[in-house]
Amino acid sequence: MARERKRSDMPPADLPMTPMIDVVFQLLIYFLVTIHPKDVVANLDVFRPSPDARQEQTTTPPKMIRVTVFAEGFTINDRPVDAPELDKLLSKLASIDRNQTILIMCTASSHHEDLVRVLDLCAKSRLVNLSVVSTN
Amino acid sequence: MRRSMEDAAMNMTPMIDVVFQLIIFFVTTADMQSKALDTKLKLAMAPHAVAEEKKDPREVLVDVGPDGRISIARTYMSPAVLRSILKKAVAESGQTLPVVIRGDARAKHEDIKGVMDACAAAGLWKVKFAALKERG
Repeated sequence: MARERKRSDMPPADLPMTPMIDVVFQLLIYFLVTIHPKDVVANLDVFRPSPDARQEQTTTPPKMIRVTVFAEGFTINDRPVDAPELDKLLSKLASIDRNQTILIMCTASSHHEDLVRVLDLCAKSRLVNLSVVSTN
Repeated sequence: MRRSMEDAAMNMTPMIDVVFQLIIFFVTTADMQSKALDTKLKLAMAPHAVAEEKKDPREVLVDVGPDGRISIARTYMSPAVLRSILKKAVAESGQTLPVVIRGDARAKHEDIKGVMDACAAAGLWKVKFAALKERG
């Protein structure tokens, strides 16, 4: 009873609801159409040798794992591999030691996509010491 | 009859509140920074990489297009100009300045190398490669 009395005390809402709801739906539709989901960007960290050290590193120290990215494919320690095999080898290496340095060498004609793929596979195996150098 | 009239007398205030909440939500979540980035760039996919959580505000984003053209915030430049810009940035912010290379998947490594060499010449060693973890 008390509730009903309180309601009747309120001033009558003479504002029409329909245009308001129309506007709300217009707004909703506008935002739903214009908004597009954000791409999730990841940053792949690499170590860059200093300009002086680079000369030494390209002479390939024996203990380092060398992954070379060619325009046509990858090699690991001069052995040609495809992406799934490289993934397998890297995860095997990571199970031994995650902190070992992987030297990724890219030829000038290789695509950037392939370098990112190698870095992604290293990230998948949680290898952290990645060094990227360029070769001819 | 009287009952249905009472129901129609809805309170407008919460409705307007909700509308403004919606507007504020969409305005604040709209990504302003992506407008400065080259949207034609097709980043390579790296589904296993760790998504970037916090951004360094000093971060320099260098875009490399599929044709190898280097740009910062849609301003195209030669590697020599990039080098002088990075050198100036190092003089201001020091050598810990992070550089993010947003290379198109179709770009050749040669062009990415140009950016990496410019970073090396400026003494920058924090180089990252941007990749897409998820396409939005």
